[in-house]
Amino acid sequence: MPRISLDGAPIEAQAQDTVAAALLRAGVTTFTRSIKYHRPRGPFCFAGSCGQCLMRIDGLPSLLACRVPVAEGMRCERQNGPLGVENDLFRAADFLFPEGLDHHHLLVRSRLLGRVALEIARRLAGLGELPDGVERPARGELRRVELAIVGAGAAGLAAARASGAGALLIEREGRAGGAQLLFGAPVDTEVGRAELLLDAECVGLYANDTDIPGNALLAVRHRDRLLAVVAEHVVVATGGVSQPLPFPGVDRPGVYAARGLLALGARVGLELAVVGEGEEAKRCAEALSRRGYEIAMISGVPRRALGNPVKAVDTAAGTRIRCDAVAIAQPPAPLHELASSAGAQAHFDGAGFPVQTDAEGRTSVPWLFAAGTVAGKPAVPSGEAAGSAACR
Amino acid sequence: MPLSEKAIVCACEDVSVHDIDDAIEHGYPDIESLKRYTGLGTGPCQGKSCEVGAMRICAQRNAVPPPAQVPFRARPPLAPTSMAAYAGLPAGVTGARHPTAGLRPTWGRGAHPLQPPAPLPGSADIVIVGGGIMGLALAWNLAGRGAGRVLALERGYLCEGASGRNGGGVRAQWTTPTLIELAKESIAFMARFAQELGINVWLRRGGYLFLAHDDETLRRIEYGAELQKRHGLATRVITPGEAGEIVPQLDTSKFLAASWNPEDGVVFPWPFLWGYADGARRRGAQVETFTRVTGIEVSGGRVRGVQTDRGRVTADRVVIAAGAWSPTVARLAGVQLPNVPYRHEIVSSEPLKPFLGPLVSMLGTGLYFSQSMRGEIVGGMGDPDEEPGLNQTSSLRFLARYGRALSELVPQLGAVKLLRQWAGCYDVTPDHSPVLGETPGVAGLLQMSGFVGHGFMMAPAVARRMAEWMGGAKDEIFERYSVRRFAEGRLIKETFIIG
Repeated sequence: MPRISLDGAPIEAQAQDTVAAALLRAGVTTFTRSIKYHRPRGPFCFAGSCGQCLMRIDGLPSLLACRVPVAEGMRCERQNGPLGVENDLFRAADFLFPEGLDHHHLLVRSRLLGRVALEIARRLAGLGELPDGVERPARGELRRVELAIVGAGAAGLAAARASGAGALLIEREGRAGGAQLLFGAPVDTEVGRAELLLDAECVGLYANDTDIPGNALLAVRHRDRLLAVVAEHVVVATGGVSQPLPFPGVDRPGVYAARGLLALGARVGLELAVVGEGEEAKRCAEALSRRGYEIAMISGVPRRALGNPVKAVDTAAGTRIRCDAVAIAQPPAPLHELASSAGAQAHFDGAGFPVQTDAEGRTSVPWLFAAGTVAGKPAVPSGEAAGSAACR
Repeated sequence: MPLSEKAIVCACEDVSVHDIDDAIEHGYPDIESLKRYTGLGTGPCQGKSCEVGAMRICAQRNAVPPPAQVPFRARPPLAPTSMAAYAGLPAGVTGARHPTAGLRPTWGRGAHPLQPPAPLPGSADIVIVGGGIMGLALAWNLAGRGAGRVLALERGYLCEGASGRNGGGVRAQWTTPTLIELAKESIAFMARFAQELGINVWLRRGGYLFLAHDDETLRRIEYGAELQKRHGLATRVITPGEAGEIVPQLDTSKFLAASWNPEDGVVFPWPFLWGYADGARRRGAQVETFTRVTGIEVSGGRVRGVQTDRGRVTADRVVIAAGAWSPTVARLAGVQLPNVPYRHEIVSSEPLKPFLGPLVSMLGTGLYFSQSMRGEIVGGMGDPDEEPGLNQTSSLRFLARYGRALSELVPQLGAVKLLRQWAGCYDVTPDHSPVLGETPGVAGLLQMSGFVGHGFMMAPAVARRMAEWMGGAKDEIFERYSVRRFAEGRLIKETFIIG
């Protein structure tokens, strides 16, 4: 069993744990203090898509504790609590400004008080301290493919199978399958003649300005180095991202994304209040109950979550539900950023910003296609349609 | 101490429902302005967990019409990625450049969905084309002098152009006396901006440190320091060792000497525009966003007004203050300006606890970086292979070059993660000095452009003098910096250009 430390205190972890899983199992729920009001924060999405579990790990600031696997002797330190994260005195900022702090109009009348505010703000700014050591450039690589497919969930895999040779299928996780894996649903992980690159996250999509012919230039982080990939066509099948709901207390430790808890290799208590309605909430609740949780369903937007970590929720109907943790089960919002940063149009539909496509996944950028959840409802347009259209 | 009842929407930046309502109430409901005004979506998650929640609130409040319910422009890297990773990209990424048309913008031509429905006034005394810092500061100064009906027109949201895209550096270290004086007065104004205009701009005077890597540059900084001293600045040339005391993380073997002025600083650019716009409106000027100027009417050697996508406005005087778009706007009046737009790219890192006082710049490569009030390392770097053009897209090439240059100069920053890159356009003149004053052959058409990436730090003084000059006061800079100088060969060479 690997042993890690948190702020110098030893923590027993399990071999497959992420840092977040090991800490939660050890009963640690406050991972950091928030940047402005020093509110306690713990992990939410367990997918590297929110910023609530940032921690200094082995001398590197602000790493996502939910994405870092534990290793023997790993040093974890909590940030932004100068006097200790559990009892951070700067949390007074939250108490003193219950309505929020309007930094634009704070103390504008007095030049002297303005200067004092500047000095205080400067000292409180930021999250992590500078890295301990020096990280040397990690030798990257430049390669060319006909088709790059981002995301090896159901849609990306289907696009890979439908495409001809020369496709590169880029997957952020260590295995293909995407969200289906969370629910234990069967998924066809056959990639046809495409090459599957795991542990690879596409962090940028640009118009290609290199001398190598091709429309797109992708920046793909593969472990600690970057691959630059020139591609003639790109299919974005990045899926969705769990969303919180804006109610008082949603940001407190103990409120998690339901899909995040399905991805987490540890359990957070026994009694779980699941907030949500419809198919997504039902599906998450069933899967969570198979993990051994006792579920209480809550519909509507709760009035508030109470406790640190959260131990109760006041529902919209006015009843108080006691629980060990809260799971928010909203349909995941399309992860449109890669496609929209490259100029593809995306529009709000009440639950997110799906990328606008035709039935074959064509976006407003001629070489860019989108398929699956990122383009709206799952499988519309399908990966098959986008994969074959991108190769025509 | 119990936790407050804030309903947090953006957990990275602690933005609540209340803050979003506040921004809507202040007139910043469009998603790009909402992001800038509240800070939502600018933290480590880059909006992935707050953008939907924020838009849901805007939609519920009917704050923006459905066609404008779009995401804010997503900025790479889409997940925090270290400078060292970018620095390791091979020469194929940073070598010979193949020019691209850039990527298609989110908005095409045609009226913007956020364009106000009310018609423009049929006439004004002064129309200002461009709602960047120059145009808005001029509107505020003109309105304060009772210059008549002032109408400032901005084609996008406030902050959409270079005034909202710069790194916030403000300095008086220049190599021409006029620019030194303009910058001195402007920085002094910035220090009292909150009292004058009611909004904080967070001027932090951490100094500017210019590094000279070769003898030629060393001579330039020595000349500059001498001149600046004569103008009352505290600039002095210091050794690498002394520079290392100011910024201990610097690799001092990479430069020969440095020019140091502890009174320069860094501001937070966006509130300048909001402050000037609100101030101008309070004084009776009209500032209209999402309004495009489509024509300039000229007859009998005089300007007569402008055409816009919201109708025609007659005016005796039209000021072109459109930054890098100024040559395009001037062409509407049949006027050729020598200005050329060039893209400059910039990137912001994860927020770090304060460690860096000054803005540091390597004069040879145009690398510069500083630490914002939010703790981010914000920096950029010039690219000698950049093609001219109005291109505001980002490139991987820039991150690779910047990551390499910065992690060589400050090795400890190698492991720091980059969060967000963007680009803006410099408005470059042949001598790197501005274009001001009358336009030969078109009476009433006034120029206020050509600031080569530093207009932001001079606008308060330039706008004050321009408003006084337009009111009849004598001021030789509007003669000396006239566009005529290019035809007459009277160039005014400024050499301290970075980025």
